[in-house]
Amino acid sequence: MTQPIIEFKNVAMQYGDTTVLKSIDLEIEQGKFYTLLGSSGSGKTTILRLMAGFLTPTSGDIYFKGQRINDVPPEKRQINTVFQNYALFPNMNVYENVSFGMVLKGKKKSDIKAKVSEMLALVKLSGYEDREISELSGGQQQRVAIARALANEPEVLVLDEPLSALDYKLRKTMQYELRDIQQRLGITFVFVTHDQEEALAMSDWIFVMNDGKILQNGTPVDIYDEPINHYVAEFIGESNIIPGVMRQDYVVSFAGKEFENVDAGMRPNEPVEVVLRPEDLDLVDVADGKLTVTIDDESFRGDYYEITAHDDDQNPWQIQATNSATIGKRYGLYFDPEDIHIMRLNESEEDFDARLEQYEDEEDADNE
Amino acid sequence: MSEKRTINFSVPYYLWLVLFVIAPVILLVFQSFTNLHGQFTLANYKTYFGSGTYLRMTFNSVFFALVVTLITLVISYPMALIMSRLKHAQFWLMLVILPTWVNLLLKAYAFIGLFAQKGTINDFLTFIGVGPQQMMFTNGAFLTVAAYIEIPFMIMPIFNSLVEMDQSLVNAARDLGATKWQTLWRVIVPLSMNGVRAGVQAVFIPTLSLFMITRLIGGNRVITLGTAIEEHFMVTQNWGMGSTIGVVLIVAMAITMYVTRDRKRGGKA
Amino acid sequence: MKKLKPSYLYLAFVFALMYLPIFYLMFYSFNAGSYMNGFAGFSLKHYATLFSDYRLMGILANTFIIALLSGLFATLIGTFGALAIYRTRRIGLKNTLLSLNNILIVSPDVIIGASFLILFTLIGLKLGFFSVLLAHIAFSIPIVVLMVLPRLNEMNPALIDAAHDLGATDFQVLSRVILPYAWPGILAGFFMAITYSLDDFAVTFFVTGNGFSTLSIEIYSRARQGIDLSVNALSTLMFLVSLVLVGVYYYISLRTNNGSKKKRQMRTAVR
Repeated sequence: MTQPIIEFKNVAMQYGDTTVLKSIDLEIEQGKFYTLLGSSGSGKTTILRLMAGFLTPTSGDIYFKGQRINDVPPEKRQINTVFQNYALFPNMNVYENVSFGMVLKGKKKSDIKAKVSEMLALVKLSGYEDREISELSGGQQQRVAIARALANEPEVLVLDEPLSALDYKLRKTMQYELRDIQQRLGITFVFVTHDQEEALAMSDWIFVMNDGKILQNGTPVDIYDEPINHYVAEFIGESNIIPGVMRQDYVVSFAGKEFENVDAGMRPNEPVEVVLRPEDLDLVDVADGKLTVTIDDESFRGDYYEITAHDDDQNPWQIQATNSATIGKRYGLYFDPEDIHIMRLNESEEDFDARLEQYEDEEDADNE
Repeated sequence: MSEKRTINFSVPYYLWLVLFVIAPVILLVFQSFTNLHGQFTLANYKTYFGSGTYLRMTFNSVFFALVVTLITLVISYPMALIMSRLKHAQFWLMLVILPTWVNLLLKAYAFIGLFAQKGTINDFLTFIGVGPQQMMFTNGAFLTVAAYIEIPFMIMPIFNSLVEMDQSLVNAARDLGATKWQTLWRVIVPLSMNGVRAGVQAVFIPTLSLFMITRLIGGNRVITLGTAIEEHFMVTQNWGMGSTIGVVLIVAMAITMYVTRDRKRGGKA
Repeated sequence: MKKLKPSYLYLAFVFALMYLPIFYLMFYSFNAGSYMNGFAGFSLKHYATLFSDYRLMGILANTFIIALLSGLFATLIGTFGALAIYRTRRIGLKNTLLSLNNILIVSPDVIIGASFLILFTLIGLKLGFFSVLLAHIAFSIPIVVLMVLPRLNEMNPALIDAAHDLGATDFQVLSRVILPYAWPGILAGFFMAITYSLDDFAVTFFVTGNGFSTLSIEIYSRARQGIDLSVNALSTLMFLVSLVLVGVYYYISLRTNNGSKKKRQMRTAVR
């Protein structure tokens, strides 16, 4: 494995009596797009500020390319930041903002000029050199902030909720553009957001955080399909979470019935939580359904219908369907065995990974 | 890391704090315990509290300051209220502030011309057949000039508190059935109390210490604490007694500020 | 036509009360006679007297030198004072510094004057130009702090982080980001300090001694002797100077406000 560009070892952060980070370990590799995802107060911005050098950890070590950088000030780190509200200098115009870092380094004027043009072209703001910051729209300010940070040629760019101030459409566009810029430059991006949709759309790798801890990390698909616990399942996308019992390997019982599934490695009759994503559920005739539900309400969401229903045990269900349903009518609910995801109660990330590996090995052995 | 450098540049400021803020107060208190020969004594305070003259003078000063504050408040509140409703409110506010940039002595001087025995007002009174009146060196003249000078300082904070007030609260009150006067009395006035308190503070304390006005308009009588301090420092050269009255003035100021402090209810006032 | 509301009448009445004495004073400065009544015809003779009075011209020069110098020093010291308060993290200490800073603003002039007189006498400073200058610097510093500090507090602290992030040293952050941002506040503080200095009578009266005089002191001593229309002429000129200063001050604060208003619109537009 290649050496990680940034590494946190046992990093903890406290302000007085308040602990904001509890013993964080993480590795950031060269050239990937990382996202720290969590609600406000989860500690994600603290991690970002530790990386950029605005904070020094209370304990633990931070490494940059294998070198301990706990005490290196921000101006000496090859990490640049795009700030939440952009932090553009209001007393300078676009050119002066973007060239700020290079001017401080005493670079040649012609080089600076070329670099500013290049950066503005990268963020699609060519020709905006002489604009005042106050004349720019929010989206344009955002682009200038990115250009300013990238002009310093950082190895890692950290972005602190950079899209949160933009409207929905602009946010979508900027998501694509940020991803595009990252891939073109091939440098590492560490992105902080509380928006799960954004995280899923942009990232190579996601860290889900809560309460100063990393709950789960993995690719967007891993985290969406295999949330480790109730919190992650709720936070990432809409979920139906129903209490159930794991009768034996590959058989789970919930809502009064037993179903075939693809999970194993648990004690027989272990109480678990069952996750079914709304988009994995289909409404069919009662006769074809695995469960029977009665429709409570329906709302049109543009590209699909958001339907709420309840089964005969009064468990609530959320269903996303392409066709409209009749309120009050009974339908069958259909899903495939692989749509059923099982979460053990209080399982840590290590246990989860270990169990996954274990029964995957078993499966491999079985297949042989 | 950034702390150290600021401290270097800020040394003159800290020096100023010690030399010109803390030291003078201590010196003044210290001086109030010395007699004419620089020896320690409690005599100044004994004299102050023992003689009716000083206590009467203090009472007068407080009384006059209260009257001036009341006059300015009565004139200023409606004024601020009307101004806050106008379209170019900030422009009218500027017109209120402008006179405060005219040297205070010049304003007092204008009133000498108006109030003099052969002054403009007496000319007018003679013209309408009332006949000339003695106006200079009367309490009325002092009250008029002091109120005149202090009015802008009362209008400004009240105006600000009225402008900052959320207009939807007024609309809500009307919506809930309050009449104009009920809205004024039950919503607007209570919400502007912080402005009124600030105004009272801004008028009452300086009026306690005005001395040039009493000298120029009120005649050579000692009717404020300020005049008394000036008298002891500049005329009789009894710095100890002057400082004692200074300490009394500081105490009066502290009491005023405590009484008119910002009272915040719950979170944000 | 719109009916004249009683509230507007009241407004006009109070404004008339506020401005009449000032205009009355200015009006009689053009009187050919020598009293503030019975206008005997237009004349500029009091202005001529004023400008031929070399002693008074000297006092005028003194007044402006004191105002400019004290404004300059107070701005320098006060700006770094505001920075020191801004950078103080501990809330308790910050509040203590702020309260100490404001003592001279809320203190009655007589107290400031009397206590400075004691101070100067104690350290053996001869009363005159320097004692007046020092006193003016001293009472102007907190005003500058109060003009600069809100500007600093208004500044997005991320700007400082951003500058560091882009490689700026502490000094570069100060000279390229913080001071330019606070500049309107610093300028406003400078002009306020000048106005306070020009306007001050009470403090100067205590610490000026015999040989040195400023305009306020001069007006006071002349006014005590009765009416002298050259004082009217002087006041007219000073009113004009005040107007110019007010104009400059408002120009500065208007420009600053416009900037922040634009920003506010931007922020709401973004949402």
